[in-house]
Amino acid sequence: MMRLAFLLLLLAWSGIAGAGALQLDLGRLAHPVFVIEGLHVRLGDEGEAAELAIERFAIGKRDWQDVTIRCPDFRLERAVVRCLRGMLTVPGLFERTAIDLHLDTRNKSGELNLRMPGREAIDIVIRPDGRIVASLEGLSVARLGKLVDLASWNAVGRLAGRIEYSPTRDGARIKVSGTLGDGGFAQADGLRAAEGVGLDIDLAARRGLAGWDWQGRVAWNAGEAYLHPLYLVAGPVIEAAGRLEGEMLTVARARLELEGVRAIAANAEIGLQPVAVRSLAFSVADADLAVVGPRYLAPAFAPSATDRLRFSGHVSAAATVEEGVPTTVELAFDEAGFSLSDKELSFGPLTGVVPWRAEARTEARLAVGGGRWQKLALGAFELIAQLDGQRVDVDRVAIPVLDGALVLERLALAHDATGWHGSGAAVVEPISMALLAEAAGLPPMSGVLSASLPGLRVAPGEISLDGALVISVFDGYLQATRLQLLEPFGVASHLYADVQARHLDLAQLTEAFSFGSVSGFVDAHVLGLELARWRPVRFDARVLSSPGNYPRRISQRAVQNISALGGPGAVAALQRGLLGLFETFGYRDIGISCVLRDGVCRMDGLDDRMAPGDGYYIVRGGGIPALNVIGYNRRVDWNELIDRLQRVIASNASPVIQ
Amino acid sequence: MNAMTMTKAMMKWRGWIAVLLLGFAGLVFAQGNIEIDTPTIAALKQSMQQRHAKLAPLYASGAVGLAADGNVALRDASGVPLAQRGQANALVAAENADRAALYREIARANGHPEWEADVRATFARRWIERAQPGWLIQRDGSWVRK
Repeated sequence: MMRLAFLLLLLAWSGIAGAGALQLDLGRLAHPVFVIEGLHVRLGDEGEAAELAIERFAIGKRDWQDVTIRCPDFRLERAVVRCLRGMLTVPGLFERTAIDLHLDTRNKSGELNLRMPGREAIDIVIRPDGRIVASLEGLSVARLGKLVDLASWNAVGRLAGRIEYSPTRDGARIKVSGTLGDGGFAQADGLRAAEGVGLDIDLAARRGLAGWDWQGRVAWNAGEAYLHPLYLVAGPVIEAAGRLEGEMLTVARARLELEGVRAIAANAEIGLQPVAVRSLAFSVADADLAVVGPRYLAPAFAPSATDRLRFSGHVSAAATVEEGVPTTVELAFDEAGFSLSDKELSFGPLTGVVPWRAEARTEARLAVGGGRWQKLALGAFELIAQLDGQRVDVDRVAIPVLDGALVLERLALAHDATGWHGSGAAVVEPISMALLAEAAGLPPMSGVLSASLPGLRVAPGEISLDGALVISVFDGYLQATRLQLLEPFGVASHLYADVQARHLDLAQLTEAFSFGSVSGFVDAHVLGLELARWRPVRFDARVLSSPGNYPRRISQRAVQNISALGGPGAVAALQRGLLGLFETFGYRDIGISCVLRDGVCRMDGLDDRMAPGDGYYIVRGGGIPALNVIGYNRRVDWNELIDRLQRVIASNASPVIQ
Repeated sequence: MNAMTMTKAMMKWRGWIAVLLLGFAGLVFAQGNIEIDTPTIAALKQSMQQRHAKLAPLYASGAVGLAADGNVALRDASGVPLAQRGQANALVAAENADRAALYREIARANGHPEWEADVRATFARRWIERAQPGWLIQRDGSWVRK
């Protein structure tokens, strides 16, 4: 249509050549690609000024008003059109652009040179054989951004290069080679931005019957970018090939070179109206977790722990996404390790595969080399899990802990928007207390810990355990029931439990904790125990001599230490005069209780008889020499109590008896 | 910034966060105490205080704002160097994790875990009330400079 109009224009002009000025006005010129409204052409005589003005010029949804080309020296010689030292104005796109135009209508060749302020240049050569070569120099990306509606990206940079179009017998070929310098973009919120970007670009495309077959390579050689939440630096190179057919861009194969990854490959189908990824498949081979973990995985999946997460080993991955929804994911770990630096929590090395299908049941198999939680080392174990959509089922997994094991059975978990939910059962196969005490930094002790917890329930941030955890220790046992664990690895970890102890041998217990020497046995309960960050914040505890006949003796040192539990200056030992004379004393009962609330321990002792002066008996004497220990301080600061107890235990000094 | 200026700036921020946190003293939440202190709450406050020295310049520049839901949000990172935007995002994520734990913990310490949403709403209002002039805050769904 345009060509037709131009020919009409030339014919009209040539028909009246020499007859003075010519003026042509066209109301509207429509083409599938563009629309011209209000076209006015004024031509003078040979060598005189000419002007082309368009009131509105539209391509797609973009349009420009008042487009003009003024040629102070316009010539038409034997169907050769020349516009020398002209000026092109497309408001908002080309301001003050010098234009030189040379068109030979006989062999359809010509040359167009555009020069813009700031040393931007576009030179287009049209050859008689139909080839078109465009050379770009210093072309502003911001200017191109106006063409393709990328204003919100605030793109900058300079493009240089060459675009070559060649017609072929059955279509056409396009080759693009060029560079981008000082490139960048910045969205208003700063969440997508790049600076100082340099790119080497090579593209080639061939038009056939089925559309454009294309291939290209883009190398990012300078600059940095932040694509929320990832910070990226120059280095990646992408090579891709595919087809553009109508409004569908097919990426048949793409290969990305990225530091720390042996290979990344992808293919995709992308709709262009509107732009949307219809389908995507990608694979990542041998990603070095020490490199990609802190750069990509932590910011994307655990941004709050970015500074603390450590990675090692390798992972390979593959995934498919259809219409934005993941349909398959495959992960293969090779000696992969994960740890949280400040919690001493680690897992690995981990080797195995996790296949997942949105619509099918699969089996994941992982060999875990071990782990560590604080000082507690976990041994190697194999985890086999059935994956089904958002569900994970584990029939049985035995995690070695010291010389025993934590066995999880019939674990059925499901993930929803709030997190993981599920149930199962847990068994702790006997763990020797000697090893556990060593790992926990406790004094040496013998015995074993075991547990049968048939009702394990998991909710987001919460694990509840019905059943009992039993520790046989000091010839008696401790039993913890109603166990509930909240956010075990979080800052605000909480443990709730009821603890009952029966027939603990005081001789062994006091020896283990260097508490002096007491013979006899005690029962105890700690009800409503709450540990926050593994420290007690609430409980109702009571320790009482076990019923039965057995020797009951208490040493001077133990008397002193028990006194310390009652508060400073608040304990009196009766028959003080005798205390210094004997190493041990007989006693009838020992009893002490503490109700911990808000950091204060409300203390009490044996409740069968009030001691003088509102005191309470902690040790009630019996035999010869007899000795009573009486507490007077009923409110003791818990932290102070613990400090005092630790000092007492740590001190090897002989007790001072007054 | 010399060492003395830095120290003064840090003291200023530390003072501010102390005022902010202690400012809740005496504030009674429903029948509970929003200023209740437990080892966990103390640890969370300490963690947040330490982080505040890094977050304060981001509040001042408007990169990070105080949201109406009791969280902080990365709003306009354009003033932050590209290489540090990831760190700013990590700070925001860590702060929000601590804040969520703080609200949960205060509700729990009051013996009413179900109060968490109310504790969060109360804190959200207070954070915004006590924000310094110029900080970005979310009010009636819109982000504005205080």
